[in-house]
Amino acid sequence: MAYFIELLVNGALVGLMYALAALGFVLIYKSAGVPNLAQGALVMMAAYLVWYLGSLGLPIWIAIAVGAALMFGFGLLVERLLLRRMVGQPVIMVVMLTLGMEILLRGLIPGVFGAAPKPLDLGIGLAPVIVADVFMNRAYLIGGLVAVLLIAASMLFFRTRLGTKLRAVSDDHVASWAVGLSVERAIGLSWGIAGIAAVGAGVLWGSVQGVDWTLSTLLFPAIAVVILGGVDSIKGVLVGGLAVGILGSVIPGYLDAMVGGSTRDVVTSVIILLTILVRPHGIFGREDIERI
Amino acid sequence: MTILKRIGRPAALALGLAGAAGGVAAQDKEPIKFGLLQDFTAVYTFVTGEYNQGQQDYLTLVNEEGGIDGHMFEAIVRDTGNEPQRGIEAYNRAREEGAILFDFLSTPVSRGLVDQVMKDEVVLITPLHGRGDAAAGETFPFVFPVMATYWSQAAVLADHIKSTGGLEGKKVALVHIDSPFGREPMPVLEGIAEAENFEVRGFPYPSPGNEQSATWSEVRRYRPDVVFIWGAGGGQSVSVQQAIRNGIDPASIHSVVWMAETDARNVGADAMTGVKRFEAVATGTETPIVSRIVEKVVEPGKSAGDAANVGSSYYNIGVATMAVAVEAARLALESEGAPLDGPKLKAGFEMIENFDAEGMMPPITITPEDHQGGGYGRVAQWNGSAWEPVSDWTTAYPEIVQEEIEMNAAEYAGGN
Repeated sequence: MAYFIELLVNGALVGLMYALAALGFVLIYKSAGVPNLAQGALVMMAAYLVWYLGSLGLPIWIAIAVGAALMFGFGLLVERLLLRRMVGQPVIMVVMLTLGMEILLRGLIPGVFGAAPKPLDLGIGLAPVIVADVFMNRAYLIGGLVAVLLIAASMLFFRTRLGTKLRAVSDDHVASWAVGLSVERAIGLSWGIAGIAAVGAGVLWGSVQGVDWTLSTLLFPAIAVVILGGVDSIKGVLVGGLAVGILGSVIPGYLDAMVGGSTRDVVTSVIILLTILVRPHGIFGREDIERI
Repeated sequence: MTILKRIGRPAALALGLAGAAGGVAAQDKEPIKFGLLQDFTAVYTFVTGEYNQGQQDYLTLVNEEGGIDGHMFEAIVRDTGNEPQRGIEAYNRAREEGAILFDFLSTPVSRGLVDQVMKDEVVLITPLHGRGDAAAGETFPFVFPVMATYWSQAAVLADHIKSTGGLEGKKVALVHIDSPFGREPMPVLEGIAEAENFEVRGFPYPSPGNEQSATWSEVRRYRPDVVFIWGAGGGQSVSVQQAIRNGIDPASIHSVVWMAETDARNVGADAMTGVKRFEAVATGTETPIVSRIVEKVVEPGKSAGDAANVGSSYYNIGVATMAVAVEAARLALESEGAPLDGPKLKAGFEMIENFDAEGMMPPITITPEDHQGGGYGRVAQWNGSAWEPVSDWTTAYPEIVQEEIEMNAAEYAGGN
């Protein structure tokens, strides 16, 4: 039983950290209506930035703050230089653009900063937290708490006046223009906020595994999280993250030994497929029905 | 006119002969080209930068010291992104440019090009990657692992455990990335387990290894006496962290060769104290070759990369690979003469005897039958600031390793 609970708890914590990577995806979709396939690369880039700032001698917490500011600025730049040119283009072109960004950043950033894994020390010790024979990963515990805080902050943000404007822009660009909302500014802002979320995910995952290109592979579990939770739902990120993390921990915990191979990616793929087949808009996603 | 013709013909012939001789002489002294077509941007990025820098710096050193009997070396360096298709394209270009030796430092690319290099009769070196069965020289005449395969590495690590605390009755966990590379040592470990009466069990984790918590919960439940970790890149430091977080003594962790200073920094230099790894080449800058590289290549600003990498684990492995290749070229020039081609260089490799790169690596002897060079290595332990050897250069369980090599080579031969 302790083994099951351990898989459950650590899976939930890992899932919350996936949710952190997925948060930027949802923030952009919820605000701009754009599926951002570059989110994995943004997480990687954010981690590299913080590592680099730290290597210049900045204390880690200052490096994180400066990194967040820089990633916010990068998000604004992406809107100004790339996305603004895509206004009026089919959504598939915007998706391709973000995919291109993902590939570009995945090659460019390690090329500039060095491809070997870099250490990112947040001062989290390696000793486990043990509660009633259940070993909990200290880094995941802190990561999970940070994820919950950031997700809660995002939910509150969308209840503010600015958040409401972003939701309006996501609903209908033309109507937003008609009532005087700056669609460009809203989209830029959403990319900037997603950049800040990427710093959270990049720093926490980077502290666990080191900073290298493999951080960008967080895109895969992040996509599973948003598909399951609902691509436009922040509450969905939380629930989807927990579900993906728990299922991806508990099922392989029993199945791997039987099949002699790792089944976690299979579990994640099945989650994606089943959700699309059974509930395409996810658990909390909004189902848009259009009259034809 | 006739006189002119009579004078002219021998003169023209003489001139022609002189020209031809000059051409042959020039051709003789043309640089010997090695194609270092590696993965700088995808999966092997954790090692390629330092490894390739070591390779280039060694070739620069050889050139700075006058080459081999006046023959200089040229490295053709290109990125393959770990993609066989790009590897084939880069290989064809480098072949056209005259490369006679290739190192892809990528198992998929090396495997994809094995048949082609054997058809083209050029040399492919696969140090610490590629097919383990390429050690069978009669089946793979132009492929040279030149360093211990993963099977030999597992055998050397097992032998060290046997000599330091015994293996009998122990429980050994092989925690590995879920890929052919990760699973590779299992048959040899099972063979040794049968011979030494211990238990071994595999624990796979998904690629790239950035999240392994569920796997390590299961490992802890197994209560292993010894843990082997078989991964690469960031996944290795995650493995060590997870092991420690699950209460496993770092001193019981034994790693494949892909564990370096960067992993220690990621885990935390102190926390990783005690972890052991297989070592193919000595680290540090104290060996004569690396000392000369520092003096003649790095200090004059001719290094192919960051001076801070010089002497690191992967840098030194790169240096050693080229030391072996240049030694093969030297032997080939001595016995076969210039200009070198693939078959001559192959013959040079098979003449290598007790070569240790001036004390940098175990003495290797390559024969037409054994392209691995004996499968030597040693065990090194992280002492909090550096890797410290805790065993002598050795080879272990050669009959079990050889059985695996022969079985796989026979399967390859049967499929061709």
